[in-house]
Amino acid sequence: MEVKDSFLKDSKDSSIFSFTSFLKDIFLRGGSLIGLIGLSVAFALLSPHFFTLSNWLNIFRQVSVVIILASAQTMVIISSGIDLSVGSLLALGGSLAAVAMCYWGWSLFAGALLGVLVAGLAGWGSGAVIAKGKVPDFIATLGMLGAVRGIALLITDGLPVPSYLTATALTGYLPSGLIWMGSGSVGGFPVPMIIAVGVVILTWFILSRTTFGRSLYAVGGNREAARTSGINVDRVKVMVYALSGLYCGLGGLVLVGRMNSANALMAEGIELQTIAAVVIGGTNLSGGRGTVFGTLVGAILMGVLANGLNLLNVQPFWQRVINGLLIIVVVVFDQWRRRLMKV
Amino acid sequence: MVATQQTQPLISLKNVSKSFPGIQALNDISLDIFPGEIHAVLGENGAGKSTLMKILSGIVTKDSGEIFLQGKKVEFNNPREAIDAGVSLVQQELSLIPSLSIAENIFLGRWPQKGLSIDWNKINQDTQELLQRFDVKENPQTLVEKLSVAEQQLIEILKASFRPTTKVLLLDEPTSALSEEEVKRLFGLLEEIKKENKAIIFISHKIGEALQLADRITILRDGKKVITVPKQNTSEEDVIFYMTGKRFGENESQVTEEKIGREIILSLRNFSSDEYVKDIELDIYRGEILAIFGLMGSGRTTLARALFGLCKTEGEILLEGKKVSFSSPVEAIESGIGYIPEDRREGLVYELPVFANITLATFQRMSRRGILDVNWEYTAASKMIGELQIKTPNIFREVLYLSGGNQQKVLLARWLVSNPRILIMDEPTRGIDVGAKFEIRSLVKNLAHTGIAVLFITSEPLEALEMGDRILVMRNGRMVKIIDNPQETTKSDLLALASGIRRKE
Repeated sequence: MEVKDSFLKDSKDSSIFSFTSFLKDIFLRGGSLIGLIGLSVAFALLSPHFFTLSNWLNIFRQVSVVIILASAQTMVIISSGIDLSVGSLLALGGSLAAVAMCYWGWSLFAGALLGVLVAGLAGWGSGAVIAKGKVPDFIATLGMLGAVRGIALLITDGLPVPSYLTATALTGYLPSGLIWMGSGSVGGFPVPMIIAVGVVILTWFILSRTTFGRSLYAVGGNREAARTSGINVDRVKVMVYALSGLYCGLGGLVLVGRMNSANALMAEGIELQTIAAVVIGGTNLSGGRGTVFGTLVGAILMGVLANGLNLLNVQPFWQRVINGLLIIVVVVFDQWRRRLMKV
Repeated sequence: MVATQQTQPLISLKNVSKSFPGIQALNDISLDIFPGEIHAVLGENGAGKSTLMKILSGIVTKDSGEIFLQGKKVEFNNPREAIDAGVSLVQQELSLIPSLSIAENIFLGRWPQKGLSIDWNKINQDTQELLQRFDVKENPQTLVEKLSVAEQQLIEILKASFRPTTKVLLLDEPTSALSEEEVKRLFGLLEEIKKENKAIIFISHKIGEALQLADRITILRDGKKVITVPKQNTSEEDVIFYMTGKRFGENESQVTEEKIGREIILSLRNFSSDEYVKDIELDIYRGEILAIFGLMGSGRTTLARALFGLCKTEGEILLEGKKVSFSSPVEAIESGIGYIPEDRREGLVYELPVFANITLATFQRMSRRGILDVNWEYTAASKMIGELQIKTPNIFREVLYLSGGNQQKVLLARWLVSNPRILIMDEPTRGIDVGAKFEIRSLVKNLAHTGIAVLFITSEPLEALEMGDRILVMRNGRMVKIIDNPQETTKSDLLALASGIRRKE
């Protein structure tokens, strides 16, 4: 009898809990999905071109690179870090792959592998500096942001790849396979979108089904507890930045394929978009909590915003202002959310 | 100076209630506190003590009811408003600025001006007088970071009490970090402050101290006020009864078990750590509970951390006769050692669900090629919740929402799942309610019966006597004595050994 009673009491308590927390969760965590739907409805009412299949495919093509990088950023932020160097790592990986393919005569596969691995190596470097050198994540990756962009400029001589110099000589074209990665389509779906969805699923698997993913949450939630439970905190840190580098290399290939050319200055400022996508998606900036599906919604929301403003002929300068303010608003929201979640 | 009903209350609460999602934290509380009174608020964890303090100090706002300060109705929407009205809270975590001097800290935010500069003479002189009056032998210009925790706490209390506006002083567990000697000094200081006709309200887990210091005591249970009594009308047993609603037997029936073969599992030879713990020579037996008793700063926590690979060590550790050394917890865990830290906040990942906290020390071992065995995790966690009677709606609830005692059980469950040979527990019953204390103690005893060696660190002498098959007493980083027959030892023996005072025969 007594067991039954306490069971009933518990389930009653939990229903009180889950009802209030359900509403709160919808508002605090699912807010981005509501925002995305609301924004889409608004743009659909304002512009007849918005709610068309071709426009949506266009949005996905544009946000696919942000989704890939933001997936990496999600893992880094869950582990209570931040990677400001994603844009530079992307430029390094993409440029190096393009140079290898166009000028050194490497095959698509070899060049792509080189680009991705070198970006991964650079990420590993940030991770090592952070873990072993006890440098704050913010500073280490900020340094990388500058240094790696410089290396990309050195590799490309500051010129687009392939450049007009080589293009006229009829050598040094990007392999068609790479262009397919960025611009092709399969069964009507853009290839970059398929890659991005694949990356999101991979990231979900890592976060929810692997020991590495669980360690990311533990380290981000309470570093000391993770350490005293036998998790090698330094190794987790190094690995997440290395993985972030690999993702950035892949993002570089997709972006080069889409633009038909590599450029050491590509994707400048994309780190802010990825951080915004992560935070809009409900991941705590302080780590320990978050999902990659939230990030997916956050990235699409930002893509829809940019696309809708374009369709409404809003000046690009204003779009910069709006994007910048969006990031501030989102971080304020994150702070406010954290206070509310505490009770 | 005991307040009488004729005086006007300094601060009173009328029917104050507060609820958080799913919890009625305070239910219709009414309370009068008089000038010149020291008032203790007691209760188990989750009884509402902290919420009461937070409402009085403006950290949280009440849902309903009224607060009167000297007869005038007041509303505190934030701590600033409470301080301006005269209610100051001293929290467990100290808020002094370490890089400033004692004087600068005491006058923080109200430094007197002289022209464009600060009137340093006045600050230092006033502080000097204050320190002299309360018998604190420190120079006002000493930096706070140079002081011991106990001295910092005295300064913190002086700072809060002598804000010109302060009429009511709230203290949250003021003695939790202090040794017996330091507690005495603190009490002396509070008696002095009381003479200024201020009111002091403090919450504590230590019933004995509350009975010693307070004029009157209020006991809360499940958010409701049970009773307010003058201290001379009550006793320790009564207070426990009011807090728990149950009468506990003086001693649980002591089952003296045969030691399992007295097999040595771990030996320390000439062991030292962090240049603080020195000359440790110790054998630990399979299936025993070795209580380690010492005051703050005795080195007990350093010893525990060193055994778990968290501090640098010198000397020899022999595990089942084999020489080992741990440079990280990973190695210690692989060798079968578990560790529950002194502070729950260091052990729990609050945002992870209960099941993930329970499997935190094992999920790597139970995985295959880096892929989690989630089904195993769910099963193991559910089993533990049943065995330890952890109160949680389900295994997916974040640990954040559990009560202190249940959080402590989650930590214990983590190591039960991990199945270590040696379990080090640093103050496992600190800061949890009386009922959960009993449960944890009996769980630990059962654990030892299964053959695990338990190092049970405690700063409560009675707990050391109750739990330990043997008791190691530490002082200043060194072993004082190993007591083989705790039954023949008394609380005062232990205290005398730990504090280095020779007992008067």
